[in-house]
Amino acid sequence: MLEVRGLSKHYKVSDRDVVALADVDLMLAPGSFTVVVGRSGCGKSTLLRLLAGLVAPTTGDIRHADGHRPTIGCVFQEPRLMPWLSVAGNAGFGLVGKVAKAEIASRVAAALALVGLTDFRDAYPDQLSGGMASRVGLARALVLEPDLLLLDEPFAALDAFTRRGLQAELTDIWLARRPTVVFVTHDVEEAVLLADQVVHMDGGRIIGRRPVPLARPRDATDQALVTLRRAILDDLAGDPSQAATRHPSSDQRVFQQETVP
Amino acid sequence: MAISRFSKRFGATCVIAAFAVAWWQASARGLVSGFLLPTPQTVLLTGWELVGDGTLAAHVAVSIVRIVAGYLIATALALPLAFLFGISPAAQRAFEPVLEFLRQIPPLAMMPLLILWLGIGETQKIGIIVLACFFPIFLGALGGIAQCDPKLVEVGRACALSRGSILRRIVLPAALPAIVIGLRIALGQGWRALVGAELVASAAGLGYMIVDAEQLARTDIIIVGIFVIGGLGLLADFGMRRLIARTAPWLRERTEITHA
Repeated sequence: MLEVRGLSKHYKVSDRDVVALADVDLMLAPGSFTVVVGRSGCGKSTLLRLLAGLVAPTTGDIRHADGHRPTIGCVFQEPRLMPWLSVAGNAGFGLVGKVAKAEIASRVAAALALVGLTDFRDAYPDQLSGGMASRVGLARALVLEPDLLLLDEPFAALDAFTRRGLQAELTDIWLARRPTVVFVTHDVEEAVLLADQVVHMDGGRIIGRRPVPLARPRDATDQALVTLRRAILDDLAGDPSQAATRHPSSDQRVFQQETVP
Repeated sequence: MAISRFSKRFGATCVIAAFAVAWWQASARGLVSGFLLPTPQTVLLTGWELVGDGTLAAHVAVSIVRIVAGYLIATALALPLAFLFGISPAAQRAFEPVLEFLRQIPPLAMMPLLILWLGIGETQKIGIIVLACFFPIFLGALGGIAQCDPKLVEVGRACALSRGSILRRIVLPAALPAIVIGLRIALGQGWRALVGAELVASAAGLGYMIVDAEQLARTDIIIVGIFVIGGLGLLADFGMRRLIARTAPWLRERTEITHA
């Protein structure tokens, strides 16, 4: 269980106080897949960076069920690979010095097999396509065996075909390992294909949430999915009062596994 | 790829050949006095004689010892200082005005002072080379550290690395291309300063050989000396590039000073 209470983040820009995130409450059940959607600058990425511990909140706190910080894996919008390391070196980057070399090798081999890059383990980032580099970024997070996997628009820069393939891979990985996932995207179709809960943000606040009770694997042309996608698009485009679930903090509910995997 | 490599080498060969032909024609047709510009044959013959009697090898050995010593000392001083400034902005702010001031001073301008302080022996000559090599290495390393992509640092933080690990495993490798470029530039600067250092109060070395030849009006020896200095500089740079290609192939394209 991950519980976010009254989380806000303010930045100083030219002596002006800019509110990136305002009083956000959020509860995530273990093993849930939450996708955060919203316009550019709505605070999605700030929320993710706070959850990752990369920035400190101005107010509020993040609590974990057993009181200590879980293992967190982060996947960024750009793959952010170290150009001096091979694919295997990049994938195992977060483990070096923390676990034995044999353990690193075995976890890296498993993660690269999972993302389909076993044959490229000795390649360097310069030699990879955009999709392959994104897979290495995903493998780097997976080798940590994270309890919480945070992904910030990881497939945004990829073509539709590659993106679809990686979405399917991510779904398979999530189904196999069941980390708690928070995935940020602009793409509503991607949100509906992946999530079992879609959170809608605007102006630094969570203004709505919709469960996605659809069976997996999902088809983008499925009528129920198309209808849900349209409803979320209406949420995003229209009056915030029309959003599925308003977010008064007293009404925060833990999203339970109400989807059919 | 093979065609472009061939065309590059062909172009370079043509330019060198054109220079050689122009030189040969200018001296053979008497367009330039043989005293001012001896023919290529004369220079080759003189070079062969200097190799044969061991004179050239002796001067080259002295110069190489000086440049290696100066270069290593400069590297040993510049890199730790750059790392210190890279991780401590306060130290950088404190020392920056002094270093900026020193950077403006040509190493050869320091020669009279160095002679007074260090005498006319090896220490003074190596000191000149240290001064010439220090700033390219220092500024290259400092720039490389400063320009390390903060997004890569964030990856380290996301992987819960300590500050020391981030410095060692991200910042330093990321700074390596700039450090290597600084080292390569410093090598060239070192060769230039070497000749200057050997022009004054010296009894051996390539710079001395050139000055001595000038006093004897031996233009051919001067040209041999110039070619040897240029050749050794190219050889050192080539060796460094080969070392980079063998040990860190990812650095290769990032450390080219000119377009490959």
